[in-house]
Amino acid sequence: MSGRVLARLAPVVLVLAAALSACGGDGDTDPPATSQSPSADGDTDPSATSQSPSTDDDTVAVTVTREGDSFTPNGERVELGVDQTLVLTIDADEAGELHVHSTPEQDISYEAGASEHEITIDRPGVVEVESHDPDLIVLQLEVR
Amino acid sequence: MGASGTHLSDVGGAISAHGLGGAKDLPIPSELAIAGAVAALVISFTVLAVAWREPRYDPATSGRPAPEWLDRFVSSTALAVAARVLGMAFFLYVGAAAVFGQDTLINPFLGTFYVLLWVGLVPASLLLGPVFRAISPARTISMLFAKVSGVREGEGLYAYPARLGYWPAAAGLFSFVWLELVYPGSTDLGPVRLWCAAYLGIMFVGSALFGTTFLARADPFEVYSSLVAKLSVWGRREGRLVLRSPLANLDTVVARPGLVAVVAVLFGSTAFDSFRESTAWLGVVQEMSMPRVLPDTLALVAFSAGVGVVLTAATMATGVTPGTPRRALPDLFAHSVVPIIVGYIVAHYLTYFVEYGQQTVIQLSDPFTRGDDYLGTADLQVNYWLSMHPTFLAVTKVLAVALGHVVGVVAAHDRAVKLLPRRHQLTGQLPLLLAMVGFTVGGLYLLFAA
Repeated sequence: MSGRVLARLAPVVLVLAAALSACGGDGDTDPPATSQSPSADGDTDPSATSQSPSTDDDTVAVTVTREGDSFTPNGERVELGVDQTLVLTIDADEAGELHVHSTPEQDISYEAGASEHEITIDRPGVVEVESHDPDLIVLQLEVR
Repeated sequence: MGASGTHLSDVGGAISAHGLGGAKDLPIPSELAIAGAVAALVISFTVLAVAWREPRYDPATSGRPAPEWLDRFVSSTALAVAARVLGMAFFLYVGAAAVFGQDTLINPFLGTFYVLLWVGLVPASLLLGPVFRAISPARTISMLFAKVSGVREGEGLYAYPARLGYWPAAAGLFSFVWLELVYPGSTDLGPVRLWCAAYLGIMFVGSALFGTTFLARADPFEVYSSLVAKLSVWGRREGRLVLRSPLANLDTVVARPGLVAVVAVLFGSTAFDSFRESTAWLGVVQEMSMPRVLPDTLALVAFSAGVGVVLTAATMATGVTPGTPRRALPDLFAHSVVPIIVGYIVAHYLTYFVEYGQQTVIQLSDPFTRGDDYLGTADLQVNYWLSMHPTFLAVTKVLAVALGHVVGVVAAHDRAVKLLPRRHQLTGQLPLLLAMVGFTVGGLYLLFAA
């Protein structure tokens, strides 16, 4: 009985083995912490790269501009290291709040005019930085 | 240099307008995954074409009888009653939080609804079989109603119309994913409570009219759970408990009208969940002057309908035998999409389930946000091991998707060998294989991009 079952499963096992080796090998060659440019991940939006943040070793700097109800950047991705400091320069024409959807949540309240804020994220993942009035995703932090 | 006005807020205080949970998974860091998964599909198809020429699964004979004691235990009234009592107790407990609790994200009703119930029913059904129908409060209450009014168990006023099939479940599932993924107030207590009340109301009226058959066809959670349970090892044959291989068990899915719609909504919505957070889509919808609920609704419809249309076209594009009408084929092949759905659910919601699930268990001790510790879980800490190991997570996701697709190809192949005329058995499968390759590429691309 078990021999027959084995024979039945042979093709499945073979294929799975092929799939596993294809993907498994792939996983090994990936260094867990890379700082490849976001466009390499198949980013189709050209404007995403035009807003590239300036990076040095310790911090990543991003400028957020608010004009009325519109924000720049507009939901774009920024790469950030675990525990690396993100320096957020907010240039707003009115006061408001940004929410950083890490766990736990972080709030950034800003005044009208230019202000500078620092945040760090202590776990890998994609963390959204949102405005809630209006409801918009301003940034997505790709924390590696 | 302005001062930094950053501070940690209480977990989920008044923050709304964002789904449950904080950080999301990183995109998968490799292009080779797509090539690997497509290769797996093509290789599996080729191997199957050579080695698998006769149908191997037959619901009437497959499966090995379970040990007598196990069958007695599983079929016992005591176990059935215990499951119903447990299900009802939990339902009332969470219901109290929904009705009397505060409207915050830490109300455990939300986590129970979106994480423990919606995501949790997949692993529960994979391991234990059709669990939701065993604990379903809608079914329990309907059975009590029937008992009180003296109706014979399971009977309704009318016979459930066979033509309706699973269509009501497809509609229910769509309304759930719309609430979860599109509706801006998805984490406000009021709308979610309203959804649940409407769901229960429809289930009660439906089961009074059509008996418990209505619940088996129209309850979105029961249909979803019972479909996934077909990938477990638990089955029944002529009333006896049998152990089957998941593939043999999957073959026992009964094709009914609307089955394609059910799998299309489940699959399409999972893909949409990735898509809606992609930078490309955000760039488009956030520039529009209208609220994003409109374009999001259209996109969710497009993803679900798109999957349905592709599956329908791909399964019908073959020669047929006189015994099987062409239009019956989509539902007859729809079971092969179930493992693919499970693969993507693992890929999308594993971290969410493990980490937000723990969070929910902690929150369940304090249903009214008063600092209570009813269950003794309030002081537990969430273990973030999974988030801290992104490479392990990425490999698991790709494997889940690839495994799901390969199991799907095997299931579809066996069905094709059984149903299609001999000279169309291979060529008749090619459109479906092509569709599956397309789904793999699309699904993995979305995992990359979002």
